[in-house]
Amino acid sequence: MIRFENVSKTYKNGTVALRDVSLNIEKGEFVFLVGSSGSGKTTCLRLLLREETPDSGRILELGRDIGSMRKSRVPYLRRNIGCVFQDFRLLPTKTVFENVAFAQEVIGRPRSTVDAQVPQILELVGLADKMNNLPSELSGGEQQRVAVARAFVNRPLVLLADEPTGNLDPTNSEQIMNLLDRINKTGTTVVMATHDKGLVDRMRRRVIELDGGELVRDQLRGVYGIDDPTGGHS
Amino acid sequence: MRVFIRYAIRETFTNLWRNRLMTLAAVLTVAVSLSLVGAALMFKQSASQASVVWEQQTKVTVWMSPKVDAAELSAVQSQLSTSPYIHGTCTYQTQQQSYQQALLLLPEAESSVLRPQDMPSAYLCVPSVPTDASILISTFSGQPGVYKVTAPTNAIHHMQQTIRVMQFVAITLALTLLVSAIVLILNTIRLAIFSRRREVSVMKLVGATNWFIRMPYISEGFMQGLLGSGVAVALLTALHTWYPLSGNEFHLSTSDLVGTSIVVVLVGVLIGSLGSAFAIRRFLDV
Repeated sequence: MIRFENVSKTYKNGTVALRDVSLNIEKGEFVFLVGSSGSGKTTCLRLLLREETPDSGRILELGRDIGSMRKSRVPYLRRNIGCVFQDFRLLPTKTVFENVAFAQEVIGRPRSTVDAQVPQILELVGLADKMNNLPSELSGGEQQRVAVARAFVNRPLVLLADEPTGNLDPTNSEQIMNLLDRINKTGTTVVMATHDKGLVDRMRRRVIELDGGELVRDQLRGVYGIDDPTGGHS
Repeated sequence: MRVFIRYAIRETFTNLWRNRLMTLAAVLTVAVSLSLVGAALMFKQSASQASVVWEQQTKVTVWMSPKVDAAELSAVQSQLSTSPYIHGTCTYQTQQQSYQQALLLLPEAESSVLRPQDMPSAYLCVPSVPTDASILISTFSGQPGVYKVTAPTNAIHHMQQTIRVMQFVAITLALTLLVSAIVLILNTIRLAIFSRRREVSVMKLVGATNWFIRMPYISEGFMQGLLGSGVAVALLTALHTWYPLSGNEFHLSTSDLVGTSIVVVLVGVLIGSLGSAFAIRRFLDV
């Protein structure tokens, strides 16, 4: 599903973001991407969204080499990738329903599809009763659930989450985590960059740790801290 | 496709309304500059139409000396009748007729001292083509018995030159305004893009195609050009209807007006699209 082959990326200002990273993520996996700030987590996600291209190495995603992909094909790649951010990125002038519907409208889904699927997905994230509220009328956790609904409404094969619980309290974090877990159970591959030690330790999923742009750990059923001796994986 | 079109139209008008002051400025600049372009075009057509009429009406007058003798007169007459540069036959104007004409043209203080026998008789000839007038002038000037050969060509040239200068001024002004219209449209669309940067980033994220993202802005510029040229066409129609010179050789036909309007609309749409194309290239990173 996702494969990095000796990927390196240096930004124009000279910052080395990734150094010779190779990894492989299978369809339906749930992966935590951990590491301190500046370790290259976000760069990984940006590469997977093809907001950046690698300087060297290859990235295969959904069976395609996305580094050499034509620019005009990128939107079609992104339709298969959902994305959630720490800062939600909802449109403040649109209601909950409209925010989620927007993701379908702008890729040309007909009205009838939108009207059928948006309430369904809002039901899934537990916000069916707040459909007509504006994001500003929602709590942080609820806003993030709208963002997850928007990311998932087009049924992507991959869901990327960049510190989705970074702005949330433990209860709301737990809810978002459960939501991502349920989405993962539908067969969607989930890659989540996080600093949330508690979540990672509790979930016991695969953990990939980056440090200074290098892959330093890849564990099945891992924990956040490096001191844990649970079995290795590469 | 239907979703795309509906979305693009809705977004276009939302943007136009949201930035209505800038839109108004852009539309009015387009309107003023295109009115000038259209007026210059119509003026050009008008002037060239009038020139043709004037040139067709050009008559070469061969004035005979008042003391011309019969032999000289008939020599000139036979030459005139065989000249290939003359259309039809020349009209002979007697001394008496010249005198009557002078009475009409000159103030009484001057005409009162004239006597018919002092007046030249003349042949009034129409050249085969307007440019033959100069050939006729050089052929017959200085012939025995000929006093002077005249044609109003100089006056016409003078008129044409004045018209050319006026056209040049109008076109230069119009081009300057067209450039500022493009810049204004560019700026309006830049504002529209800026006010929707959140939407644009979400659209990119969820996989909207580049054309889907660009279309509302392209059609916004297009609409501004179109609206501006619409106002310009209305102004030109008004100018055509209440033309101060209507009813003479300057008057343009309706088909000339339609032709000019088409050019004006095309130019308007072109500058609108150009403005938005620049804005999109520069400010919309897709």
